[in-house]
Amino acid sequence: MDLSDIKKAIESIIFISDQPVSVDKLSLAFPNVDRSQLRKCLKELVEEWGKFNRGFLLSEIAGGFHFRTDPRYSEDISNYNKKVKKFRLSRPALEVTAIIAYKQPVTRVEIESIRGVDSSGVINVLLERRVVEIKGRKEVIGKPFLYGTTAEFLEVFGLKSLNDLPTLKELDEITQNLEPSITPIPEINESTI
Amino acid sequence: MRDLNKEQLELQNPEPCLVKVQLFEGPLDLLLHLIKKNEVDIYDIPIAKITEQYIEYLEFMEVLNLQFAGEYLVIAAELSLVKSKMLLPKPVIEEEEEDPRAELVRRLIEYQVYKDAATDLVSRDVLGRDVFKREYIDTSFELSEEVELIPVDLWSLIEAFREFYKRRSYLWAEEISIEAESVSIDDKIEHVMMRLQDNRQLKFEELFDDCSSKFDFVITFLALLELARTENVDVVQDSPESAILITYSGEAHSGSF
Repeated sequence: MDLSDIKKAIESIIFISDQPVSVDKLSLAFPNVDRSQLRKCLKELVEEWGKFNRGFLLSEIAGGFHFRTDPRYSEDISNYNKKVKKFRLSRPALEVTAIIAYKQPVTRVEIESIRGVDSSGVINVLLERRVVEIKGRKEVIGKPFLYGTTAEFLEVFGLKSLNDLPTLKELDEITQNLEPSITPIPEINESTI
Repeated sequence: MRDLNKEQLELQNPEPCLVKVQLFEGPLDLLLHLIKKNEVDIYDIPIAKITEQYIEYLEFMEVLNLQFAGEYLVIAAELSLVKSKMLLPKPVIEEEEEDPRAELVRRLIEYQVYKDAATDLVSRDVLGRDVFKREYIDTSFELSEEVELIPVDLWSLIEAFREFYKRRSYLWAEEISIEAESVSIDDKIEHVMMRLQDNRQLKFEELFDDCSSKFDFVITFLALLELARTENVDVVQDSPESAILITYSGEAHSGSF
């Protein structure tokens, strides 16, 4: 089996897969092929599918490779298939997801101290959606559960890995954000005189 | 406020129903909103003004019959405390005294960081909204048509548990450590549901794989009974002698959140 064959074989495996295909999983299917070769094939496939300019793309997601549709056609897909799995997370659910993603492993109390509001219901929803999972228990009184994100989280938000998460905004940006959108007429501030 | 009260009260039904609407994600969100609305510097919050507006807001929510959680009152109390500290005459400056507002500001900024992070997340190409992947139907768990499954009756289930419990009792024969278990039936139901959602089907005995104590065994069994009663799971077997299978039967559970 030469490399171009292997490449096509990998492509067909990804084609039938409902989950991102990792190099680890591929190396089980191709025990005699070097992992670096597998990676090379994957890299070429990603490039080629990008150039084809088709309705779907080969993307690196959640530690693997997967075919996903071009976002430009999301509406057409939804119109065609009403039963397609819809993404639905409320604003509070997104907030909790963000906190868990960046602070994991994190307890419910820690999440609630940031949000200032009870979050158990939201956490349950996220657990049910498999966006987050229980990673263990914290060795403090009461041994509370520690929550972290799942591979599904990476898939939902199109991330290669947790390192792919955008860095949290710096304080400057945040305060800028909080400043009024329309700059008021500068006032003379007595305290600065 | 007064006029509004009157007007609103007139609009209300004789028997007002409580509506739970989340206008804001929580008290910190409300505070951030007020800071933005008033176009004030977060590092120099006019506490008296903001506190007043905050409390006005809570009053308004009450008028509208919106339930708000106790957390709102906690922050209201905190605001009042900061306000009173600000009013106290400043002692002669010895050391750099911390601004009474500092802790609140720190919390508000931290919260804003994660609010922004949530916005960033949802503005990505989200699976199921912007991008789609292959929907795969896992047929490996679909039982072939020919096998007629029979529902397991309660007594057989209890009998199975009794047998299984006896066989496993050696596990805790030597048990001496006493550990306060914090798991409730609700937690256990949640846990069993999660496992079933992952596996779609489990053998009766597999259900107890992660049970480490007698208590755990019993509570897992009770969770199973509850799930069967509420028809969240089907308890079946293909013949009276064969293994009892627990299958997940839909999404009836999701409504309770």
